[in-house]
Amino acid sequence: MKPGNILTLVILLGLVALLVLVPQLVGSRVVERIATALAVSLVLVVGLQTFTGNSGILSFAHIGFMGIGAYASAVLTIPVQMRGMALPDLYGVLAGIQVTPTVGIVLGGAVAALVAAAVAYPLMRLSDAPAVITSFALLVVIYTVLQHWSAVTNGPRTLFGLPKATTLPLTAAIAAVVIVVALAFKESRTGLLLRASRDDERAAAALGAGIPALRWRAFILSALIAGIGGALWGHFVTSFSPKAFYLKETFVILGMLVIGGMNTVTGAVIGTFLIALLFEGLRALETALNASGAFADQVVGVTEIVLALAMMAVMFLRPGGLFAATEIGPLILRRFTRRAPP
Amino acid sequence: MSDGRLCARDVRVEFSGLRALDGVTLELARGEIVGLIGPNGSGKTTLVNAITRQVPLAGGEVSVDGASLSGLRPHEVARRGIARSFQIVRLFDHLTVAENVEAAALAQGLGRRAAQGRVAALLAEFGLARQAETLAAALSYGDKRRVEIARALAAEPSFLILDEPAAGMNEGESEVLLSLLSRLPAERKLGLLIIDHDMPLIMRLCHRLHVLASGRTIAEGDVKSVRRNPAVIEAYLGSSAEARHA
Repeated sequence: MKPGNILTLVILLGLVALLVLVPQLVGSRVVERIATALAVSLVLVVGLQTFTGNSGILSFAHIGFMGIGAYASAVLTIPVQMRGMALPDLYGVLAGIQVTPTVGIVLGGAVAALVAAAVAYPLMRLSDAPAVITSFALLVVIYTVLQHWSAVTNGPRTLFGLPKATTLPLTAAIAAVVIVVALAFKESRTGLLLRASRDDERAAAALGAGIPALRWRAFILSALIAGIGGALWGHFVTSFSPKAFYLKETFVILGMLVIGGMNTVTGAVIGTFLIALLFEGLRALETALNASGAFADQVVGVTEIVLALAMMAVMFLRPGGLFAATEIGPLILRRFTRRAPP
Repeated sequence: MSDGRLCARDVRVEFSGLRALDGVTLELARGEIVGLIGPNGSGKTTLVNAITRQVPLAGGEVSVDGASLSGLRPHEVARRGIARSFQIVRLFDHLTVAENVEAAALAQGLGRRAAQGRVAALLAEFGLARQAETLAAALSYGDKRRVEIARALAAEPSFLILDEPAAGMNEGESEVLLSLLSRLPAERKLGLLIIDHDMPLIMRLCHRLHVLASGRTIAEGDVKSVRRNPAVIEAYLGSSAEARHA
């Protein structure tokens, strides 16, 4: 492995380690919850980067696969005694099966990956705007199915009863693995050819790269990670409805990725940290403003508007995001060697 | 495979009813250098795109060693041993020079280690070793052109098609390119098809010429006879050019 890549890995995994250590030092449950949510976001955003970053195609469907993972794990882990209440119409075969949350999280990822493998291949032949629009259409389809497949999802109503299993160390460990996988995938044969096709599709095809197949592999990997992230999130909040897997959440994770820089894993990680912490700060500000009674009405929506403005600002100033082309490791090494005398 | 041939037979291409190529037949054998020339808009690049199947054929056939390329997609054509460069440089801008060249070897199905070996050899040969870790976007124009040729060669093609490789190069750079290209067919046992407007370069480099005008072949043959062909002089070279090269 090149020294630059090792440095990248050390820095990014160091950030994840900090995420586990800081709440322990502070000793606050609230901080721990924030850190856990941030770690879940890391899994989702880095998972999205494996497809979008390498292929150059913005995928709106990612949150849909998160939802599939969350529901798949829910169906398999809600205690059998509670199933009658939570999912009264669940099919007989499934109603009797109960697995531990850890197995549920793995299976959640697997189900999302299988669905992606089954539906996505034809979409992978599309590029540019048509590809983005169809990924959006796929999100709509997944959302609509989640909302109406009452037997499995409890319809648009809240599904409750998931065992609480998502801890900060577990989530951070999975986030760390996902970061390693994303960096390895980027440097892999498929990753390199996919990045070539991202930069110039015609030239890559002229060299012999079969682009739809390359994209398909990345899409399945990305859905697998999204499914795991969704299941983790499900066992964190323990109750949710399909609304949790739609536009607002899509905008947040896309915002994190695009602001950080979608071409790099560093961008995905840094973007997630920045936006998540910015959100917490703004939420605290909103609460403080409302508590102080400085305004006649309640202050709402500051977080969303600031994210939208931040996205616009970054797109104007740095269209590729904060880390547009190079991971943080090689970036630091390059600066270091440039300063050294020749 | 030394008698391998790339054949484009009676190729026709239409763009929404407009005939861009009207029955062009061109052959390229391994080991030879053929120049494809003609005025702007005569259909040179279209012929290359038709051979690599980046535009659909309205008629005719392209084959390699007698096997038809009909129905193949561009990446499948590439795996039959045809590599090309583009009129406008098309490098992978966010990839390093080494990664650009490696991508070509990997796309042909080569393993990681073998690909990296091939990359190192090509970068050394093309004097690009020091820029191996530079992002392609940061290169000078001349270097970009060289990376593009190195990248095409990393696929170890049987047939290499270069679309204006000397465009934008100064005289010194052209000269280096000329000596490099002239060695390729013998060293790598490949057939080289070159489009360029740099007539002195084409005349010195090519064994045969193929001249297009308005989507049709107006002349083909060895350099001398084409240069004297009245139709060519009329359509392309012009009498002053003929005087200069005579």
